[in-house]
Amino acid sequence: MTAEELTIRRDRMRFIKNSLSANLCYIGILFDVFYFVSLYKSDVGSYYYNIMIGASIVYNLLFLLAVFLASEGVKNYKMGYSYLLAAVGVMQIVRIFVIPMQAHSATTLVNGVETAVMSDGQFYRILVFLVVSAACLIASAAVNYSRCRELTAHLKTLESQSA
Amino acid sequence: MATLSIQHIDKIYDNNVQAVFDFNLDVKDGELIVLVGPSGCGKSTTLRMVAGLEDISAGKLLLDGRDITATPAKDRDMAMVFQSYALYGHMTIYENMAFSLTLRKENPNVIHKKVLAAAEILGLTSQLNKKPSQLSGGQRQRVAMGRSIVRNPKVFLFDEPLSNLDAKLRGSTRREILLLHKRLQATMLYVTHDQTEALTLADRIVCMSMGHVQQVGTPLELYDSPANIFVASFIGLPPMNFFDVRVSAGELIGEGYKIALSAEEQDLLKDYVNKEITLGVRPEDIAVGTDVPVKVTNCENLGMNTLVHGNVDLGQTRGVKLTAKLKGWCEYKTGDAVSFSFKRKHFFDKETTNAIRKGV
Repeated sequence: MTAEELTIRRDRMRFIKNSLSANLCYIGILFDVFYFVSLYKSDVGSYYYNIMIGASIVYNLLFLLAVFLASEGVKNYKMGYSYLLAAVGVMQIVRIFVIPMQAHSATTLVNGVETAVMSDGQFYRILVFLVVSAACLIASAAVNYSRCRELTAHLKTLESQSA
Repeated sequence: MATLSIQHIDKIYDNNVQAVFDFNLDVKDGELIVLVGPSGCGKSTTLRMVAGLEDISAGKLLLDGRDITATPAKDRDMAMVFQSYALYGHMTIYENMAFSLTLRKENPNVIHKKVLAAAEILGLTSQLNKKPSQLSGGQRQRVAMGRSIVRNPKVFLFDEPLSNLDAKLRGSTRREILLLHKRLQATMLYVTHDQTEALTLADRIVCMSMGHVQQVGTPLELYDSPANIFVASFIGLPPMNFFDVRVSAGELIGEGYKIALSAEEQDLLKDYVNKEITLGVRPEDIAVGTDVPVKVTNCENLGMNTLVHGNVDLGQTRGVKLTAKLKGWCEYKTGDAVSFSFKRKHFFDKETTNAIRKGV
C-alpha cells in the first residue's frame, strides 16, 4: 500500500463506521448464545441446581448487554470500549474453567446410576463456543484499538495542517 | 461529457393514451436544456424516457451517436435527481453519496476521493457524518446532486428538483445548480413547471403543451419572440395580455379603442387587413398613454413596480381584462379611469394561434 493510499484509508475512517469490530462483537455474542443454550439444556439429576448457575445466567445477561453496548461504541471508534471487550473476552476463557471444566470431570447419580454430568462431546462443543466468542471479542478490541490510534493520529495531522 | 439526440420520440401508454408526440431535440455537449410546461404536458415522461425509466414507444435516442433506445437505465450512464431527493434515511450523507459507487464495487479509496470532491463542490464537507433528517431541504437536494456527481455521468437529469423547497431556498438552490453547471460543464436536462427556473437556468428552453413541443429556443427567444399564444402566455410573469382586434388600414381596432400601427407593423400585417387577429402585449410593455381606456379594478404595489389590473372600458360594467406593470410606486383606486399605450406588440393568427412573423 502506498503512502497516499494509506492516508486515504485513514481519512475514510472519519466517515466510515468501524463495522469490522462491531461485527466481531455480534459474532462473539452469537457464540456465547450457543454456549449457554448448549449448557442450560443439560438436565443431569440435580447437579446444576446451585448458586453458580444462577450467577452464570446473570453474568450472561450482563455479557449480552455490555457487548452490545460495546459494539455500538467501537462502531464509532471509542477507544474505551476496546478495554471492556478485551476484559470480557478474557472472561470468556476464564469461564471455561468454572462451570464446563468442573461439570466435565464430575459425576452424579441418576436413578441410582453413576452418570457423567457433561459428555466429552458437549464439553468440546462448549469449549469451541467460548474460545471463538473470546477470540472474536479480543480481535474486535484489538482492531478497534489499532484503528482508534490511527484515526487519532490522522485527525491530529489534519488539525496541524489546517492550523 | 456528451451529446444527446432525441429523434421523433412518442410515448403511448398501454391504455392507448399518448403522452408525448414526435419529440425532437439535439442537446449539445455541456448544454443545459430545460423542459418547461404545465402539469401533464409530458415533460417528466420525456425525461423518464431519456433516463430509461419509461419505454420509448417510437423514435430513437442517441447518446454520443450511439443508439440507447433499448438500453436499460443502469447502462445509460445518466444520473437523475428527483424532486423527493430519494436519500436513504439510515445512511449518513457520506454513505448516501458513496452508495452507487459501492454497489459498483469501486475501490473504496477512489470512492472516498470522489465523495470528498463532490462534497467540496456542493459545500457539504461539514455535513458528511450527518443523517439526511438532520439537513434542511436545500442541503438534502444538494446531497441528491452530489450522489449524481460522484458517478461522473455523461448526462444529468433533474426532475423538478426544487419543487419541495420554499421560495427562498428555491432561489438559492437554483443559483447553486447554475454554478454547478458552469463548474462541471455537464450536459443537463432539467424539467420544471416554473418558468422562472426555466428562464434563469436554461441555455435553451423546450416549451411543451399536451405532449407537443411548442417552441425550442433560448430564454430570450421564448420571451421576446414566442412562437404561439401558448408560449406567449406561459412565459412571462405576469402573463401576456391578449386582445381580439381587427386589422384596418394603419391601425388596429379593438372594442372601444384604436391603436395606430407603425410602418413596420403595417408591413407585417399586410396579409391580415380586414381580418381579426390576436394582439399580445406584455404587462411590462404597457405605459400610461392615450390609446386604450381602462377602468382600474385592483392595484398591487411591489415597491419597484406597480401591477395595475383593469378592464378595457367598453362603457359597460365589464370589459377585456388587462394587467399593466408600471415602473415605480403608483396609486390607483378601484374605478379610476386611466389610458394606456402599448410600447411593444405581438401579433398572433387567430385561427392557428401562431405568431405572425415576417416571411412566415
